[in-house]
Amino acid sequence: MMPHWLDNFLFTYQSLVYSLGVNALLALAMYVVLAVGQLALGQAAFMGVGAYASALLTVKLGAPFPIALLASMAAPALLAFVIGAPTLRLSGVYLAIATIGLGEVLRILYLNWDFAGGALGLNGIPEKAGFVWIFGTLIVALVAFVFVSRSRIGRAMEAIRADEAAAGVMGVNLPAYKLAALVASAAIAGLAGAFNAHVSSFIGPNDYGFDQAVTILSFALLGGVGSPFGPVLGALVLTALPEVLRPLHDYRLVIDGLIIVCVVIFLPTGILPWRIGRIGARK
Amino acid sequence: MLVRRQFNLLAAAGLGALAFAGPSAVTLARAADPVTIGAVEILTGPNNKYGIAIKNGFDLALDEVNKAGGVLGRPLAIAYEDSAGNKDQAINAVRKLIGAQNVPLILGPTLSNEMFAAGPVANERKVPIVGTSTTANGITAMGPYVFRTSLPEADVVPVTLKTAQQKFGIKKVAVMYANDDAFSKSGYDVMKAALEKLGIETLTTETFGTKDSDFSAQMTKVKSVNPDAIVVSALVEPAAGVLLAKKALGIPASVHVIGGNGLNSPKIGEIAGDAADGTIVGSPWFIGKQDPTNQKFVAAYKAKYGSDPDQFSAQAYDTLFIVAEAIKAAGAPDSEKIKDALIKVKHTGVLGPFSFTPNRDPADTSGVAVLEMKAGKFGLLQ
Repeated sequence: MMPHWLDNFLFTYQSLVYSLGVNALLALAMYVVLAVGQLALGQAAFMGVGAYASALLTVKLGAPFPIALLASMAAPALLAFVIGAPTLRLSGVYLAIATIGLGEVLRILYLNWDFAGGALGLNGIPEKAGFVWIFGTLIVALVAFVFVSRSRIGRAMEAIRADEAAAGVMGVNLPAYKLAALVASAAIAGLAGAFNAHVSSFIGPNDYGFDQAVTILSFALLGGVGSPFGPVLGALVLTALPEVLRPLHDYRLVIDGLIIVCVVIFLPTGILPWRIGRIGARK
Repeated sequence: MLVRRQFNLLAAAGLGALAFAGPSAVTLARAADPVTIGAVEILTGPNNKYGIAIKNGFDLALDEVNKAGGVLGRPLAIAYEDSAGNKDQAINAVRKLIGAQNVPLILGPTLSNEMFAAGPVANERKVPIVGTSTTANGITAMGPYVFRTSLPEADVVPVTLKTAQQKFGIKKVAVMYANDDAFSKSGYDVMKAALEKLGIETLTTETFGTKDSDFSAQMTKVKSVNPDAIVVSALVEPAAGVLLAKKALGIPASVHVIGGNGLNSPKIGEIAGDAADGTIVGSPWFIGKQDPTNQKFVAAYKAKYGSDPDQFSAQAYDTLFIVAEAIKAAGAPDSEKIKDALIKVKHTGVLGPFSFTPNRDPADTSGVAVLEMKAGKFGLLQ
């Protein structure tokens, strides 16, 4: 039996703790594409696809949660694979605009799709995702990222980010790496969307638009994109701040903004700018 | 060095935060052991006009309850939390009020969307949560601890349409609604059902987006079918745009626009000017109601805040009295007892007679007033 105060404490901060995990996963999804130098902002859209795919399965069809999770990764990954070929020919802000457009297209689709609740969204989603699911996934993902960045693939990704043309000349298969990064990003974001839907009981078409896309980008930029730990830290800070500052009442958002501005001015490369050392690297 | 300076800056910001938090925490501890209930409203951000109006209504009623001796021999107090109009923050606020402050009852949240997210949390913890401004369908179906004192659109809209039908002999209408937000869509569903029930023919149904600014295409279509009236479900800004388009296309004023709760705002007249004249809405309350309770409320509100109350303040004002009565009847600040007492409360306030249905919705629709806009102001439909 848990002591009463601990029970109350966990109850109070439960959904904040869940958001920390979900947002950290979204930050990782952002990191994957930034790691190959692609400013693709489709993570919010992919998160929405994952959320809707899984919630429709559990709410409308009564599917088991693990199946819904698989669908939440497969559906956005497939979408990323299909749209990857045309969009990855774009670069820089053009890619960013195209991927934001994807989010808008999907939003209009959900609005006019009555089976998925239309503008009313889906409510009554069962609370299936918990602490173990969310943070277990986050840890597995982080470990995988560390291994990847210390491997041949990681070095290829770093080469693409540093100088795309040079990397291509050195024999790095640019289209394959970029597409793989986009698909991986979509799968992670979709999974985060499924977790979010299954802890907050309600999703709506307007939850995955431009605002959310920019929020996810800001996780990565605030934390720094040198290593996967940077974006995760950025997500933790940006998610926790508004709640930590709650005692300030009216001044809450002012101080929240002020702290973010200070970090951006004084730490322009993010809170954690360092890279992960490679095996056998000479100091 | 540079790094250390940055940390100092952060530390300074943190200390500043503590200094801000200090005074309010101290006053809370010093007050004479009040019965504290929670309230989650939009106090910051673009929709805070709703939350502030509601808070003003609560505070005004709170003064009166405490002047009359409070509840259970103790003063009543409200712990406010801001949701900023965000459903995740609404959940966090409800969790904090229940888990950290142990409130026996929660008022709010402001929007139906927030209630859909936060309601199940309170319900799971068996703490009554009372919405004062949530009008969407399905709110109270979330569980036995979810109440609301605001008349749902499903109760107000049929009264509005029926009154307009009798008054103007309306037989065929055009329907327009914003299909990209939950409030407008839910209002449209109610209108569609009510129109069918009243035997009014719908000639065409046109949709638009809440952030659209040009409605001439839809309005041209509406004009071509020549309806007796236009039924609109939208928030204030797009609704005002619809009214302006109606005037611009020369649809005569005798074709009334009949709106849902979104059009029930003085802002509609401010934005659309004389194009808004003739707009008909149903409202659970209106400022010119002639009974003494209401006149006293309006005068007290003006004296305290220097502005006119709106329907949200009025609903909040009545709700606090209803909740205070329930706490008195429960005999203890205990969630379970308050829940059982709440369902039995009968109260006559500024909205008229009030009681709950067994499904925890308001039972009485006799307070619904059908209003018509004339020269920028809503008055009773004559």
